[in-house]
Amino acid sequence: MNAADLALRKKPLSEAEEDLVGYRNGRDLSFFDLVSIEQVTLEDIELIYDVARRFRDYRTYKFSFNKGYSQVNAFFEPSTRTSSSFDLAAKQLSMDTVGVGGNSSVSKGESYLDTIETIDAYNVKTIVIRSKESGVPEMMARHTQAAILNAGDGWHEHPTQALLDCLTMLDHFSAEGGSLPEQQAGASGGGVSLKGKTVTVVGDIMHSRVFGSLVRLLKPLGADVRIAAPLTMIPKEVEKFGVTWHGVVEEALTGADVVYALRVQSERGANGFIPSLREYSKMFGISRKRLDLAKKEAILMHPGPVIRDIDVHSALAAVDQQSHILQQVENGMAVRKALLWLMADRVDGRQKDFKRK
Amino acid sequence: MSTLRIKGGRVVDPKNGIDALADVFIQDGKIAHVGSDSKEKADKTIDAKGLVVTPGLIDMHVHFREPGREDRETIETGSMAALAGGVTSVVTMPNTNPTADNQTVIEFILKRARDLDLIHIYPSGSITKAQDGAMLAEINELKNSGAVAITDDGSDIQNEGVLKRAMEYAKTVGMLLMSHCETKELTEGGSMHEGWISTKLGLPGIPASSEDLAVYKNILLAEETGARVHLQHNSTLGAIREIRASRARGATNITAEVSVQHFALTDEECVGYNTNAKMYPPLRSQEHIDAVIKGIEDDTIDCLTTDHAPHIEPDKIKPFETAAFGFVGLETSFAVMHTYLVKPGHIAFSKGIEKMTIAPAKIVGLDKGHLSVGADADIAIFDTEKEWTVDEKKFFSKGKNSPFVGKKLTGKAIYSIVGGKVRFAEGEIVRA
Repeated sequence: MNAADLALRKKPLSEAEEDLVGYRNGRDLSFFDLVSIEQVTLEDIELIYDVARRFRDYRTYKFSFNKGYSQVNAFFEPSTRTSSSFDLAAKQLSMDTVGVGGNSSVSKGESYLDTIETIDAYNVKTIVIRSKESGVPEMMARHTQAAILNAGDGWHEHPTQALLDCLTMLDHFSAEGGSLPEQQAGASGGGVSLKGKTVTVVGDIMHSRVFGSLVRLLKPLGADVRIAAPLTMIPKEVEKFGVTWHGVVEEALTGADVVYALRVQSERGANGFIPSLREYSKMFGISRKRLDLAKKEAILMHPGPVIRDIDVHSALAAVDQQSHILQQVENGMAVRKALLWLMADRVDGRQKDFKRK
Repeated sequence: MSTLRIKGGRVVDPKNGIDALADVFIQDGKIAHVGSDSKEKADKTIDAKGLVVTPGLIDMHVHFREPGREDRETIETGSMAALAGGVTSVVTMPNTNPTADNQTVIEFILKRARDLDLIHIYPSGSITKAQDGAMLAEINELKNSGAVAITDDGSDIQNEGVLKRAMEYAKTVGMLLMSHCETKELTEGGSMHEGWISTKLGLPGIPASSEDLAVYKNILLAEETGARVHLQHNSTLGAIREIRASRARGATNITAEVSVQHFALTDEECVGYNTNAKMYPPLRSQEHIDAVIKGIEDDTIDCLTTDHAPHIEPDKIKPFETAAFGFVGLETSFAVMHTYLVKPGHIAFSKGIEKMTIAPAKIVGLDKGHLSVGADADIAIFDTEKEWTVDEKKFFSKGKNSPFVGKKLTGKAIYSIVGGKVRFAEGEIVRA
């Protein structure tokens, strides 16, 4: 921890919050729920990143912005990093949080809608939803006063993951450009563009909500997106997202600025999407040799959990300097904190439109 | 002796080639006279000026859920929905609980229909016991008890050996075999048409090939066995192509239907995870719709149906992937045909009526669907100019699950007459 960090941590609360309010600069998001990246405008992205970068500087500093507000983390599917990240983010904004899911009423046969409406009746400010099926957060958002944050729905989207991923990329490239020292990158605020950058996504595209959000964010930011996987893992008409498919991973990696590996779940082997994890790893796993095909300054990213030696070779996963997997995690906290503050505490006082079922 | 005159309407009777202003005179439940005003005195007169008088519609593909799921629909509510849509005869599907794989269930349905005295109900029986796709049901018993066809609609026979023997047996008995045409290995887990929209929504897809393959398989076996085979709810370019090719080879024992939603709506209806747009076959993309319309235009497709499939709300407010398949269509089918086929000029009005009256009657073997002298006086009277917005709260059906809710349609049934008795008049069911 350097001197600048220590100074921030010791700042009195009122000064720290004034600092953040300054970065926010009276701005509000265009959306009330975050269920898809398609709702997010470029202005939204700038706002989220300006605030997130400053929150990141403060690390685990406890703000009081959302004091008196509550959050329910409704994870109807197992999650480690996303649920703990959302939970810590809320707590560092002084929210009360409670987790439901797992052995919940939904597993006992209650409908999602009844469960979520019950939670909503606690007058919570935010509900974070992770579901096995696509579309659940979007369906729920129409019927709650609380703001819904999609923490991953089926094969559809995982918007906060894409937001943290692009923040990681943008910060890497601006640091690399040498114009700004990394510590102050956030202060600039400007320039959310990935024009001229090539992002290669390798792995199970079809079943990946991470890809679903990432591609919807990378394209408007101007990046070229390549995908590499066996066709069994590529959904129909995926090229309409504006991506190019490669069956030979080496082709996809050559000259890339970002190598983004997705997890391949072991059950895909049993379901006949691939003959074996062994063959997949040999054909598509990110090895040192393959990573070297990308640009010298290229970074390696992965949404986690990494299946070591299958999607990414072990030596690269955490220790390699090109790996940005832990930066992704740190940025995840910051982005979620920014979203929770911006969504729960609107400057313009506007209310969400909703209709109880 | 009771008499009824329908006065001054445009009478469209495709079987008899009539499309003209005329009166229809009904005596004792039969058509007595169609033509310029006759002098006979009538007990009752319906003024049909500005309206269109057609044979009562025949929908050979509906699910009335009784016995077993009376919370979704009953024979009574299903009949009321039919009347509200100008439909006076239906063929019910056998996937009730218990399955209509035996004479008891068939006789029960027929008795309910008789007691209600609302519309004509022609039950179909299942091909296999409990629709298990393995053991043939007692098809001759089904026929003797009044079933007009056999089908495993909703599940479909996957074993080609069983399907072939079912066709041979059906031919022996003289029974129409209707196929739902789905290759399970390709649809497993799927919840909507596979394509760009399913990719965007992150929903597991149902490829068009799953239907094409089953249609092709049924055609080959029908050609080989010579059985009377009817292909249900065709929705793909490939299905239309294969039926057309079979006709070109000279096959005359295969007929085919399209459900009206499959030329009206695309898979875009699923955007927003609208579970009312979830059905099997799924709503397809534009290229398939274009092919289906061509198939209707050139008579590759013989008749139009609804696949009326009511569900209760809890089965539809689920996530898209786990929500029930199916939608209610009886109260909108005429309007959908008129709005999406006739108004854009794809087919003439009389052709649309043909495919909803005499064509299905011929397939099922009913002496219905026409206004010949002496025929049963099953008649529908439509206002083809009426624009209306579909409101599920006004449905007679227990099912409120329709992708047409909120859409504007043109054309509405004003009267439905069954066996000379007015059973639906200006928005109300009329009981004996």
